[in-house]
Amino acid sequence: MIQHLLHISHVSKHFGGNVAVSDVSFSVEEEQIFGLIGPNGAGKTTLFNCITGYFPATSGDVIFDTKKINALRPDEVCKLGMARTWQRVKPLGSLTVLENVMVGAFSVTNIAKEAEANAKEQLQMVGLNDYATKSAGSLPIGLKKKLELARVLATRPKMLLLDEICGGLNHTETDTILDIIRGIRKKGATIIFIEHDMKAVTSICDRIVVLNSGEKLAEGTPGEITTNPDVIAAYLGGGHNA
Amino acid sequence: MKQIAFLSVLAAGAVLLPLVIGENPYVIGILISMLMMAALSSAWNILGGYAGQYSFGHAAYFGAGAYTTMILVTLYNLNPLFCIAVGIVVASIIALITGSIVFRLRGHYFGLASIAVAEVVRLSVLNFNFTGGAQGILLTDVALWNLDLNSKIPFYYGMLLVLVVTLSITAYLRRSKTGYYLQAIREDQDAAASLGINIYFYKNKALLLSAALTSVLGSLYGLYIRFIDTSAVLDLRLSIEIILTAIIGGVGTLWGPVIGALLLVPLAEMLRSNLIGDMLIKAGLVSETSGVGLFLKGSLANAHVLVYGIITVLCILYLPKGILGLFRRKK
Ligand SMILES: Nc1ncnc2c1ncn2[C@@H]1O[C@H](COP(=O)(O)OP(=O)(O)OP(=O)(O)O)[C@@H](O)[C@H]1O
Ligand SMILES: [Mg+2]
Repeated sequence: MIQHLLHISHVSKHFGGNVAVSDVSFSVEEEQIFGLIGPNGAGKTTLFNCITGYFPATSGDVIFDTKKINALRPDEVCKLGMARTWQRVKPLGSLTVLENVMVGAFSVTNIAKEAEANAKEQLQMVGLNDYATKSAGSLPIGLKKKLELARVLATRPKMLLLDEICGGLNHTETDTILDIIRGIRKKGATIIFIEHDMKAVTSICDRIVVLNSGEKLAEGTPGEITTNPDVIAAYLGGGHNA
Repeated sequence: MKQIAFLSVLAAGAVLLPLVIGENPYVIGILISMLMMAALSSAWNILGGYAGQYSFGHAAYFGAGAYTTMILVTLYNLNPLFCIAVGIVVASIIALITGSIVFRLRGHYFGLASIAVAEVVRLSVLNFNFTGGAQGILLTDVALWNLDLNSKIPFYYGMLLVLVVTLSITAYLRRSKTGYYLQAIREDQDAAASLGINIYFYKNKALLLSAALTSVLGSLYGLYIRFIDTSAVLDLRLSIEIILTAIIGGVGTLWGPVIGALLLVPLAEMLRSNLIGDMLIKAGLVSETSGVGLFLKGSLANAHVLVYGIITVLCILYLPKGILGLFRRKK
Protein backbone atom coordinates (compact mmCIF):
# COMPACT_ATOMS: atom_id res chain seq x y z
CA MET A 1 0.00 0.00 0.00
CA ILE A 2 1.16 3.51 -0.80
CA GLN A 3 2.04 5.55 2.29
CA HIS A 4 0.92 9.16 2.17
CA LEU A 5 3.20 11.06 4.50
CA LEU A 6 1.59 14.42 3.82
CA HIS A 7 -1.90 15.10 2.69
CA ILE A 8 -3.02 18.61 1.74
CA SER A 9 -6.79 18.84 1.53
CA HIS A 10 -8.62 21.86 0.06
CA VAL A 11 -6.23 24.36 1.60
CA SER A 12 -6.93 28.05 1.03
CA LYS A 13 -5.25 31.14 2.41
CA HIS A 14 -6.73 34.61 2.14
CA PHE A 15 -4.99 37.86 3.02
CA GLY A 16 -7.93 40.20 3.28
CA GLY A 17 -9.39 40.12 -0.21
CA ASN A 18 -6.24 38.63 -1.74
CA VAL A 19 -6.53 34.88 -2.25
CA ALA A 20 -2.95 33.64 -2.09
CA VAL A 21 -3.78 29.92 -2.07
CA SER A 22 -7.09 28.63 -3.33
CA ASP A 23 -8.48 25.16 -2.65
CA VAL A 24 -5.25 23.25 -3.22
CA SER A 25 -5.13 19.49 -2.62
CA PHE A 26 -2.37 16.94 -3.17
CA SER A 27 -0.61 14.11 -1.40
CA VAL A 28 3.05 13.35 -0.99
CA GLU A 29 4.25 9.78 -0.65
CA GLU A 30 7.03 8.65 1.60
CA GLU A 31 10.52 9.03 0.15
CA GLN A 32 9.24 11.09 -2.73
CA ILE A 33 10.91 14.20 -4.03
CA PHE A 34 7.93 16.36 -4.75
CA GLY A 35 8.23 19.54 -6.83
CA LEU A 36 6.15 22.65 -6.18
CA ILE A 37 6.47 25.13 -9.02
CA GLY A 38 4.68 28.17 -10.38
CA PRO A 39 5.33 31.76 -11.42
CA ASN A 40 6.24 34.48 -8.91
CA GLY A 41 3.38 35.14 -6.52
CA ALA A 42 1.71 31.81 -7.29
CA GLY A 43 1.36 31.01 -3.58
CA LYS A 44 4.15 28.45 -3.11
CA THR A 45 5.76 30.04 -0.08
CA THR A 46 2.33 30.83 1.38
CA LEU A 47 1.43 27.15 1.13
CA PHE A 48 4.66 26.22 2.95
CA ASN A 49 3.76 28.74 5.65
CA CYS A 50 0.33 27.11 6.09
CA ILE A 51 1.77 23.61 6.22
CA THR A 52 4.45 24.43 8.79
CA GLY A 53 2.27 26.47 11.13
CA TYR A 54 3.79 29.88 10.41
CA PHE A 55 0.21 31.01 9.96
CA PRO A 56 -2.97 28.93 9.83
CA ALA A 57 -4.75 28.17 6.57
CA THR A 58 -8.03 30.03 6.13
CA SER A 59 -9.68 26.70 5.35
CA GLY A 60 -8.72 23.13 4.55
CA ASP A 61 -6.68 20.48 6.33
CA VAL A 62 -3.03 19.54 6.54
CA ILE A 63 -2.44 15.95 7.58
CA PHE A 64 1.08 14.81 8.34
CA ASP A 65 1.84 11.23 9.30
CA THR A 66 -1.93 10.62 9.87
CA LYS A 67 -2.04 13.59 12.30
CA LYS A 68 -3.96 16.79 11.62
CA ILE A 69 -1.47 19.61 12.08
CA ASN A 70 -3.52 22.67 11.02
CA ALA A 71 -3.46 24.35 14.39
CA LEU A 72 0.07 23.49 15.51
CA ARG A 73 2.84 26.02 16.12
CA PRO A 74 5.99 25.95 13.95
CA ASP A 75 8.05 24.42 16.75
CA GLU A 76 5.49 21.66 17.26
CA VAL A 77 5.51 20.90 13.53
CA CYS A 78 9.31 20.73 13.63
CA LYS A 79 9.18 18.37 16.60
CA LEU A 80 6.91 16.05 14.58
CA GLY A 81 9.67 15.74 12.01
CA MET A 82 8.83 18.35 9.41
CA ALA A 83 11.39 21.07 8.80
CA ARG A 84 11.43 23.97 6.37
CA THR A 85 14.01 26.34 4.93
CA TRP A 86 13.32 30.00 4.22
CA GLN A 87 13.34 31.50 0.75
CA ARG A 88 14.46 34.75 2.34
CA VAL A 89 17.24 33.21 4.38
CA LYS A 90 17.13 33.70 8.14
CA PRO A 91 20.60 33.15 9.55
CA LEU A 92 21.11 33.70 13.28
CA GLY A 93 23.45 36.52 12.32
CA SER A 94 25.71 37.00 15.32
CA LEU A 95 26.10 33.27 16.00
CA THR A 96 28.72 31.24 14.19
CA VAL A 97 27.85 28.88 11.36
CA LEU A 98 28.43 25.90 13.66
CA GLU A 99 26.25 27.41 16.39
CA ASN A 100 23.45 28.00 13.88
CA VAL A 101 23.41 24.34 12.98
CA MET A 102 23.69 23.32 16.64
CA VAL A 103 20.47 25.22 17.34
CA GLY A 104 18.78 22.89 14.86
CA ALA A 105 20.50 19.88 16.39
CA PHE A 106 19.20 20.69 19.86
CA SER A 107 15.72 19.71 18.71
CA VAL A 108 16.85 16.08 18.86
CA THR A 109 19.21 16.18 21.86
CA ASN A 110 19.69 18.11 25.08
CA ILE A 111 23.43 17.51 25.20
CA ALA A 112 25.73 20.15 23.72
CA LYS A 113 28.43 17.63 22.72
CA GLU A 114 25.93 15.57 20.75
CA ALA A 115 24.47 18.67 19.13
CA GLU A 116 27.95 19.73 18.08
CA ALA A 117 28.76 16.34 16.58
CA ASN A 118 25.48 16.34 14.67
CA ALA A 119 26.08 19.90 13.47
CA LYS A 120 29.59 19.11 12.25
CA GLU A 121 28.23 16.15 10.33
CA GLN A 122 25.74 18.42 8.54
CA LEU A 123 28.37 21.08 7.81
CA GLN A 124 30.52 18.37 6.27
CA MET A 125 27.54 17.20 4.23
CA VAL A 126 26.77 20.60 2.68
CA GLY A 127 30.43 21.59 2.42
CA LEU A 128 30.47 24.38 4.98
CA ASN A 129 32.99 22.88 7.40
CA ASP A 130 35.62 25.49 6.52
CA TYR A 131 33.22 28.19 7.66
CA ALA A 132 32.24 26.65 11.00
CA THR A 133 33.66 29.50 13.11
CA LYS A 134 32.60 32.36 10.81
CA SER A 135 29.67 34.45 11.91
CA ALA A 136 26.59 33.41 9.97
CA GLY A 137 25.64 36.97 9.11
CA SER A 138 28.86 37.48 7.20
CA LEU A 139 28.36 34.64 4.70
CA PRO A 140 27.54 35.38 1.04
CA ILE A 141 24.02 34.43 -0.03
CA GLY A 142 24.96 31.11 -1.63
CA LEU A 143 26.53 29.88 1.59
CA LYS A 144 23.61 31.17 3.63
CA LYS A 145 21.39 28.90 1.54
CA LYS A 146 23.64 25.98 2.36
CA LEU A 147 23.48 26.96 6.01
CA GLU A 148 19.67 26.88 5.84
CA LEU A 149 19.92 23.34 4.54
CA ALA A 150 22.47 22.18 7.11
CA ARG A 151 20.39 23.65 9.92
CA VAL A 152 17.20 21.79 9.02
CA LEU A 153 19.10 18.59 8.36
CA ALA A 154 20.36 18.76 11.93
CA THR A 155 16.76 18.44 13.16
CA ARG A 156 16.79 14.99 11.50
CA PRO A 157 13.48 15.52 9.74
CA LYS A 158 11.24 12.90 8.15
CA MET A 159 10.10 15.55 5.74
CA LEU A 160 11.89 18.61 4.38
CA LEU A 161 10.26 21.61 2.77
CA LEU A 162 12.89 23.41 0.73
CA ASP A 163 11.97 26.89 -0.50
CA GLU A 164 14.25 27.90 -3.41
CA ILE A 165 17.25 26.40 -1.73
CA CYS A 166 19.20 26.65 -5.01
CA GLY A 167 18.30 30.29 -5.66
CA GLY A 168 21.43 32.36 -6.18
CA LEU A 169 23.68 29.34 -6.55
CA ASN A 170 25.74 28.61 -9.67
CA HIS A 171 25.50 25.36 -11.64
CA THR A 172 28.10 23.40 -9.71
CA GLU A 173 26.68 24.53 -6.39
CA THR A 174 23.17 23.63 -7.52
CA ASP A 175 24.38 20.18 -8.56
CA THR A 176 25.98 19.69 -5.14
CA ILE A 177 22.72 20.60 -3.43
CA LEU A 178 20.76 18.28 -5.71
CA ASP A 179 23.15 15.45 -4.86
CA ILE A 180 22.69 16.16 -1.17
CA ILE A 181 18.92 16.06 -1.60
CA ARG A 182 19.13 12.73 -3.39
CA GLY A 183 21.32 11.46 -0.55
CA ILE A 184 18.84 12.57 2.09
CA ARG A 185 16.02 10.86 0.25
CA LYS A 186 18.04 7.67 0.08
CA LYS A 187 18.24 7.75 3.87
CA GLY A 188 14.45 7.75 4.03
CA ALA A 189 13.42 11.42 4.07
CA THR A 190 10.67 12.92 1.97
CA ILE A 191 11.15 16.27 0.27
CA ILE A 192 8.98 19.04 -1.14
CA PHE A 193 11.05 21.21 -3.38
CA ILE A 194 10.13 24.74 -4.51
CA GLU A 195 12.35 25.87 -7.36
CA HIS A 196 12.26 28.08 -10.43
CA ASP A 197 15.13 26.32 -12.22
CA MET A 198 13.15 23.85 -14.38
CA LYS A 199 16.20 21.81 -15.24
CA ALA A 200 16.83 21.17 -11.55
CA VAL A 201 13.17 20.41 -10.88
CA THR A 202 12.66 17.96 -13.72
CA SER A 203 15.94 16.20 -13.05
CA ILE A 204 15.25 15.49 -9.40
CA CYS A 205 11.48 15.37 -8.80
CA ASP A 206 9.32 12.25 -8.95
CA ARG A 207 6.16 14.27 -9.12
CA ILE A 208 5.29 17.93 -9.56
CA VAL A 209 2.40 20.22 -8.68
CA VAL A 210 2.06 23.49 -10.56
CA LEU A 211 0.42 26.46 -8.84
CA ASN A 212 -0.81 29.50 -10.68
CA SER A 213 -2.45 32.49 -8.99
CA GLY A 214 -3.03 30.36 -5.92
CA GLU A 215 -4.77 27.54 -7.75
CA LYS A 216 -3.50 24.11 -8.63
CA LEU A 217 -3.00 24.12 -12.39
CA ALA A 218 -1.59 20.66 -12.96
CA GLU A 219 -0.07 17.64 -11.27
CA GLY A 220 1.99 14.84 -12.73
CA THR A 221 5.40 13.43 -13.51
CA PRO A 222 8.06 15.78 -14.88
CA GLY A 223 7.35 14.42 -18.37
CA GLU A 224 3.66 15.13 -18.07
CA ILE A 225 4.20 18.60 -16.66
CA THR A 226 6.66 19.78 -19.27
CA THR A 227 4.28 18.75 -22.07
CA ASN A 228 1.09 20.01 -20.44
CA PRO A 229 -0.28 22.80 -22.67
CA ASP A 230 -1.83 24.69 -19.71
CA VAL A 231 1.47 24.71 -17.91
CA ILE A 232 3.36 25.80 -20.99
CA ALA A 233 0.88 28.62 -21.54
CA ALA A 234 0.77 29.85 -17.95
CA TYR A 235 4.25 29.27 -16.80
CA LEU A 236 6.86 27.86 -19.10
CA GLY A 237 5.81 30.22 -21.84
CA GLY A 238 5.92 33.13 -19.46
CA GLY A 239 9.63 33.81 -19.71
CA HIS A 240 10.99 30.79 -17.83
CA ASN A 241 12.96 28.33 -19.92
CA ALA A 242 12.23 24.64 -19.75
CA MET B 1 40.61 25.40 32.03
CA LYS B 2 42.38 28.73 31.71
CA GLN B 3 39.09 30.43 32.36
CA ILE B 4 38.50 28.42 35.52
CA ALA B 5 41.94 29.31 36.85
CA PHE B 6 41.33 32.97 36.07
CA LEU B 7 37.98 32.81 37.82
CA SER B 8 39.41 31.13 40.89
CA VAL B 9 42.04 33.84 41.25
CA LEU B 10 39.42 36.53 40.81
CA ALA B 11 37.06 34.92 43.31
CA ALA B 12 39.85 34.43 45.84
CA GLY B 13 40.82 38.08 45.42
CA ALA B 14 37.24 39.18 46.01
CA VAL B 15 36.95 36.95 49.08
CA LEU B 16 40.18 38.27 50.60
CA LEU B 17 39.66 41.91 49.69
CA PRO B 18 37.87 42.95 52.92
CA LEU B 19 40.74 41.48 54.95
CA VAL B 20 43.24 43.55 53.00
CA ILE B 21 41.46 46.88 53.07
CA GLY B 22 40.26 46.42 56.62
CA GLU B 23 36.85 47.52 57.78
CA ASN B 24 36.71 50.87 56.06
CA PRO B 25 32.91 51.18 55.86
CA TYR B 26 33.01 53.77 53.11
CA VAL B 27 35.12 51.65 50.78
CA ILE B 28 33.23 48.45 51.66
CA GLY B 29 30.00 50.30 50.93
CA ILE B 30 31.17 51.20 47.43
CA LEU B 31 32.35 47.65 46.85
CA ILE B 32 28.95 46.32 47.90
CA SER B 33 27.26 48.70 45.46
CA MET B 34 29.60 47.49 42.74
CA LEU B 35 28.90 43.82 43.42
CA MET B 36 25.19 44.48 43.58
CA MET B 37 25.05 46.41 40.32
CA ALA B 38 27.25 43.82 38.61
CA ALA B 39 24.90 41.06 39.75
CA LEU B 40 21.74 43.02 38.87
CA SER B 41 23.04 43.82 35.43
CA SER B 42 24.16 40.20 34.92
CA ALA B 43 20.73 38.93 35.91
CA TRP B 44 19.12 41.42 33.52
CA ASN B 45 21.58 40.28 30.84
CA ILE B 46 20.21 36.72 30.84
CA LEU B 47 16.91 38.06 29.57
CA GLY B 48 17.99 41.25 27.79
CA GLY B 49 21.40 40.25 26.48
CA TYR B 50 20.93 36.59 25.64
CA ALA B 51 17.22 36.34 24.83
CA GLY B 52 17.13 39.90 23.43
CA GLN B 53 14.08 40.83 25.51
CA TYR B 54 14.85 44.26 26.96
CA SER B 55 13.17 44.76 30.30
CA PHE B 56 12.83 48.38 31.34
CA GLY B 57 11.17 47.42 34.59
CA HIS B 58 13.55 45.22 36.51
CA ALA B 59 13.09 47.43 39.56
CA ALA B 60 9.76 45.60 39.98
CA TYR B 61 11.57 42.35 40.81
CA PHE B 62 14.19 44.10 42.93
CA GLY B 63 11.41 45.85 44.83
CA ALA B 64 9.38 42.67 45.14
CA GLY B 65 12.29 41.00 46.91
CA ALA B 66 13.09 44.02 49.07
CA TYR B 67 9.52 44.66 50.17
CA THR B 68 8.64 41.01 50.78
CA THR B 69 11.70 40.49 52.95
CA MET B 70 11.39 43.75 54.85
CA ILE B 71 7.68 43.24 55.56
CA LEU B 72 8.14 39.66 56.74
CA VAL B 73 11.14 40.48 58.90
CA THR B 74 9.65 43.60 60.52
CA LEU B 75 6.16 42.16 61.06
CA TYR B 76 6.83 38.51 61.86
CA ASN B 77 10.53 38.46 62.59
CA LEU B 78 10.99 35.44 60.34
CA ASN B 79 14.36 33.99 59.36
CA PRO B 80 15.81 36.35 56.70
CA LEU B 81 16.79 33.43 54.45
CA PHE B 82 13.20 32.21 54.47
CA CYS B 83 12.05 35.74 53.65
CA ILE B 84 14.45 35.90 50.71
CA ALA B 85 12.91 32.66 49.42
CA VAL B 86 9.40 34.10 49.72
CA GLY B 87 10.67 37.18 47.86
CA ILE B 88 11.75 34.90 45.01
CA VAL B 89 8.25 33.44 44.88
CA VAL B 90 6.61 36.88 44.80
CA ALA B 91 8.95 38.13 42.05
CA SER B 92 8.39 34.92 40.08
CA ILE B 93 4.64 35.35 40.23
CA ILE B 94 4.91 38.90 38.91
CA ALA B 95 7.27 37.66 36.18
CA LEU B 96 5.00 34.79 35.17
CA ILE B 97 1.92 36.98 34.98
CA THR B 98 3.80 39.49 32.82
CA GLY B 99 5.43 36.88 30.62
CA SER B 100 2.40 34.68 30.10
CA ILE B 101 0.47 37.64 28.73
CA VAL B 102 3.08 39.62 26.84
CA PHE B 103 5.18 36.83 25.35
CA ARG B 104 2.10 35.54 23.52
CA LEU B 105 2.14 38.69 21.40
CA ARG B 106 4.40 39.06 18.40
CA GLY B 107 6.59 42.14 18.35
CA HIS B 108 8.28 44.39 20.85
CA TYR B 109 5.56 44.58 23.44
CA PHE B 110 7.64 43.22 26.26
CA GLY B 111 9.72 46.38 26.71
CA LEU B 112 6.63 48.55 27.06
CA ALA B 113 4.80 46.06 29.23
CA SER B 114 7.78 45.75 31.57
CA ILE B 115 7.62 49.50 32.30
CA ALA B 116 3.87 49.30 32.82
CA VAL B 117 4.13 46.37 35.23
CA ALA B 118 6.87 48.10 37.22
CA GLU B 119 4.73 51.22 37.51
CA VAL B 120 1.73 49.18 38.65
CA VAL B 121 3.88 47.53 41.33
CA ARG B 122 5.32 50.87 42.43
CA LEU B 123 1.93 52.59 42.65
CA SER B 124 0.39 49.62 44.47
CA VAL B 125 3.16 49.65 47.06
CA LEU B 126 2.75 53.42 47.47
CA ASN B 127 -0.96 53.07 48.15
CA PHE B 128 -1.16 50.00 50.35
CA ASN B 129 -0.90 50.29 54.11
CA PHE B 130 1.01 47.13 54.87
CA THR B 131 3.85 48.32 52.61
CA GLY B 132 4.33 51.50 54.60
CA GLY B 133 3.07 53.58 51.66
CA ALA B 134 5.13 56.70 51.03
CA GLN B 135 6.86 56.36 54.41
CA GLY B 136 8.65 53.17 53.48
CA ILE B 137 9.80 50.48 55.88
CA LEU B 138 12.41 50.86 58.55
CA LEU B 139 14.09 47.79 59.97
CA THR B 140 15.51 48.22 63.46
CA ASP B 141 16.94 44.82 64.09
CA VAL B 142 17.67 41.65 62.21
CA ALA B 143 19.53 38.49 63.14
CA LEU B 144 20.85 35.48 61.26
CA TRP B 145 22.93 32.79 62.97
CA ASN B 146 25.54 34.70 64.92
CA LEU B 147 26.53 37.03 62.11
CA ASP B 148 27.17 40.64 63.02
CA LEU B 149 24.59 42.24 60.71
CA ASN B 150 25.53 45.71 61.92
CA SER B 151 28.75 45.26 60.01
CA LYS B 152 28.78 45.58 56.22
CA ILE B 153 31.04 42.57 55.79
CA PRO B 154 28.30 39.88 55.73
CA PHE B 155 26.52 41.83 53.02
CA TYR B 156 29.70 42.15 51.01
CA TYR B 157 29.94 38.35 50.99
CA GLY B 158 26.21 37.99 50.37
CA MET B 159 26.34 40.17 47.27
CA LEU B 160 29.53 38.46 46.12
CA LEU B 161 27.84 35.07 46.46
CA VAL B 162 24.83 36.14 44.39
CA LEU B 163 27.13 37.62 41.74
CA VAL B 164 29.13 34.40 41.53
CA VAL B 165 25.93 32.35 41.29
CA THR B 166 24.54 34.63 38.58
CA LEU B 167 27.75 34.51 36.55
CA SER B 168 27.98 30.73 36.97
CA ILE B 169 24.42 30.31 35.73
CA THR B 170 25.17 32.57 32.77
CA ALA B 171 28.40 30.74 31.96
CA TYR B 172 26.59 27.41 32.13
CA LEU B 173 23.66 28.67 30.05
CA ARG B 174 25.91 29.90 27.27
CA ARG B 175 27.12 26.38 26.61
CA SER B 176 23.77 24.69 27.07
CA LYS B 177 20.68 24.13 24.98
CA THR B 178 18.79 26.89 26.76
CA GLY B 179 21.52 29.44 26.07
CA TYR B 180 21.64 28.56 22.39
CA TYR B 181 17.87 28.77 22.23
CA LEU B 182 17.75 32.17 23.91
CA GLN B 183 20.30 33.54 21.47
CA ALA B 184 18.42 32.03 18.53
CA ILE B 185 15.28 33.81 19.73
CA ARG B 186 17.23 37.05 19.98
CA GLU B 187 18.58 36.71 16.44
CA ASP B 188 15.45 35.63 14.58
CA GLN B 189 12.22 34.43 16.15
CA ASP B 190 10.79 32.90 12.97
CA ALA B 191 13.93 30.92 12.30
CA ALA B 192 14.06 29.86 15.95
CA ALA B 193 10.47 28.62 15.93
CA SER B 194 10.97 26.73 12.68
CA LEU B 195 13.90 24.90 14.28
CA GLY B 196 11.73 23.53 17.06
CA ILE B 197 12.10 26.23 19.70
CA ASN B 198 9.04 26.98 21.82
CA ILE B 199 9.64 30.71 21.95
CA TYR B 200 6.99 31.39 24.56
CA PHE B 201 8.42 28.82 26.96
CA TYR B 202 12.04 29.90 26.65
CA LYS B 203 11.32 33.62 27.01
CA ASN B 204 9.39 32.88 30.17
CA LYS B 205 12.20 30.69 31.43
CA ALA B 206 14.72 33.52 30.93
CA LEU B 207 12.42 36.07 32.54
CA LEU B 208 11.78 33.85 35.53
CA LEU B 209 15.46 33.18 36.12
CA SER B 210 16.33 36.83 35.75
CA ALA B 211 13.52 38.00 38.03
CA ALA B 212 14.32 35.46 40.74
CA LEU B 213 18.00 36.49 40.91
CA THR B 214 17.04 40.16 40.89
CA SER B 215 14.66 39.66 43.80
CA VAL B 216 17.39 38.07 45.93
CA LEU B 217 19.50 41.17 45.40
CA GLY B 218 16.56 43.35 46.39
CA SER B 219 16.11 41.36 49.59
CA LEU B 220 19.80 41.65 50.46
CA TYR B 221 19.73 45.35 49.74
CA GLY B 222 16.79 45.89 52.11
CA LEU B 223 18.46 43.97 54.93
CA TYR B 224 21.70 45.85 54.29
CA ILE B 225 20.35 49.42 54.17
CA ARG B 226 17.50 48.66 56.61
CA PHE B 227 15.31 51.27 55.08
CA ILE B 228 13.39 51.06 51.83
CA ASP B 229 10.81 53.15 50.07
CA THR B 230 9.55 53.13 46.50
CA SER B 231 12.04 55.71 45.31
CA ALA B 232 14.92 53.55 46.56
CA VAL B 233 13.88 50.12 45.27
CA LEU B 234 11.04 50.50 42.76
CA ASP B 235 12.10 53.51 40.73
CA LEU B 236 12.40 53.58 36.94
CA ARG B 237 15.82 55.13 37.48
CA LEU B 238 17.06 51.87 38.99
CA SER B 239 15.75 49.90 36.01
CA ILE B 240 17.55 52.26 33.66
CA GLU B 241 20.83 52.07 35.61
CA ILE B 242 20.74 48.29 35.37
CA ILE B 243 20.34 48.44 31.58
CA LEU B 244 22.95 51.14 31.05
CA THR B 245 25.49 49.17 33.06
CA ALA B 246 25.00 46.20 30.76
CA ILE B 247 25.06 48.29 27.58
CA ILE B 248 28.22 50.13 28.55
CA GLY B 249 30.01 46.95 29.58
CA GLY B 250 28.75 44.79 26.74
CA VAL B 251 25.26 43.31 26.31
CA GLY B 252 25.01 39.56 25.81
CA THR B 253 28.50 38.84 27.13
CA LEU B 254 29.40 37.12 30.38
CA TRP B 255 31.69 39.86 31.71
CA GLY B 256 30.14 42.96 30.17
CA PRO B 257 27.81 43.72 33.10
CA VAL B 258 30.65 43.25 35.60
CA ILE B 259 32.92 45.62 33.71
CA GLY B 260 30.10 48.12 33.38
CA ALA B 261 29.53 48.05 37.14
CA LEU B 262 33.25 48.32 37.96
CA LEU B 263 33.37 51.52 35.94
CA LEU B 264 30.03 53.12 36.55
CA VAL B 265 29.50 52.61 40.26
CA PRO B 266 32.70 54.42 41.30
CA LEU B 267 31.95 57.08 38.72
CA ALA B 268 28.48 57.59 40.17
CA GLU B 269 30.00 57.72 43.65
CA MET B 270 32.52 60.34 42.57
CA LEU B 271 29.76 62.46 41.10
CA ARG B 272 27.54 62.01 44.12
CA SER B 273 30.24 62.97 46.58
CA ASN B 274 31.32 65.81 44.30
CA LEU B 275 34.86 64.45 44.00
CA ILE B 276 35.23 65.54 40.40
CA GLY B 277 34.04 69.09 41.03
CA ASP B 278 36.31 69.42 44.05
CA MET B 279 39.27 68.11 42.10
CA LEU B 280 38.78 70.58 39.28
CA ILE B 281 38.45 73.43 41.76
CA LYS B 282 41.47 72.33 43.82
CA ALA B 283 43.55 71.97 40.69
CA GLY B 284 42.77 75.60 39.99
CA LEU B 285 41.15 74.75 36.66
CA VAL B 286 37.84 76.21 37.74
CA SER B 287 37.30 79.04 40.15
CA GLU B 288 35.00 78.13 43.01
CA THR B 289 32.95 81.29 42.71
CA SER B 290 32.58 81.28 38.93
CA GLY B 291 29.40 80.07 37.29
CA VAL B 292 30.98 76.78 36.30
CA GLY B 293 32.31 76.26 39.79
CA LEU B 294 28.94 76.87 41.35
CA PHE B 295 27.36 74.51 38.87
CA LEU B 296 29.90 71.81 39.65
CA LYS B 297 29.36 72.14 43.35
CA GLY B 298 25.60 72.47 43.17
CA SER B 299 24.35 70.27 40.41
CA LEU B 300 26.90 67.69 39.40
CA ALA B 301 26.13 65.68 42.51
CA ASN B 302 22.65 65.01 41.19
CA ALA B 303 23.79 64.44 37.66
CA HIS B 304 25.03 60.89 37.71
CA VAL B 305 22.09 59.53 35.75
CA LEU B 306 22.64 62.27 33.20
CA VAL B 307 26.30 61.32 32.97
CA TYR B 308 25.31 57.65 32.58
CA GLY B 309 23.06 58.74 29.74
CA ILE B 310 25.81 60.64 27.99
CA ILE B 311 28.23 57.74 28.35
CA THR B 312 25.58 55.40 26.98
CA VAL B 313 24.98 57.56 23.92
CA LEU B 314 28.74 57.70 23.32
CA CYS B 315 28.90 53.93 23.75
CA ILE B 316 26.09 53.29 21.30
CA LEU B 317 27.77 55.60 18.78
CA TYR B 318 31.33 54.44 19.15
CA LEU B 319 31.27 51.11 21.02
CA PRO B 320 28.06 49.36 19.99
CA LYS B 321 29.26 46.16 21.59
CA GLY B 322 30.21 47.84 24.84
CA ILE B 323 33.64 48.10 26.38
CA LEU B 324 34.12 44.35 26.09
CA GLY B 325 33.54 44.67 22.35
CA LEU B 326 36.83 46.58 22.17
CA PHE B 327 38.72 43.46 23.13
CA ARG B 328 36.84 41.03 20.90
CA ARG B 329 38.37 40.48 17.52
CA LYS B 330 35.94 40.29 14.64
CA LYS B 331 35.12 36.79 13.52
N1 LIG C 1 2.06 37.73 4.91
C1 LIG C 1 1.40 38.12 3.78
N2 LIG C 1 0.48 39.11 3.85
C2 LIG C 1 -0.19 39.50 2.75
N3 LIG C 1 -0.02 38.97 1.53
C3 LIG C 1 0.87 37.98 1.40
C4 LIG C 1 1.63 37.50 2.52
N4 LIG C 1 2.45 36.50 2.10
C5 LIG C 1 2.21 36.37 0.79
N5 LIG C 1 1.27 37.24 0.36
C6 LIG C 1 0.74 37.36 -1.01
O1 LIG C 1 0.37 36.07 -1.42
C7 LIG C 1 0.68 35.87 -2.79
C8 LIG C 1 1.54 34.63 -2.94
O2 LIG C 1 2.84 34.92 -2.47
P1 LIG C 1 3.95 33.79 -2.25
O3 LIG C 1 5.10 34.41 -1.57
O4 LIG C 1 3.33 32.61 -1.61
O5 LIG C 1 4.32 33.43 -3.74
P2 LIG C 1 5.46 32.45 -4.28
O6 LIG C 1 4.82 31.48 -5.15
O7 LIG C 1 6.27 31.93 -3.16
O8 LIG C 1 6.31 33.46 -5.15
P3 LIG C 1 7.91 33.54 -5.42
O9 LIG C 1 8.21 32.59 -6.48
O10 LIG C 1 8.11 34.95 -5.85
O11 LIG C 1 8.58 33.22 -4.13
C9 LIG C 1 1.33 37.14 -3.27
O12 LIG C 1 0.34 37.93 -3.92
C10 LIG C 1 1.80 37.80 -2.00
O13 LIG C 1 1.79 39.19 -2.14
MG1 LIG D 1 8.18 32.06 -2.55
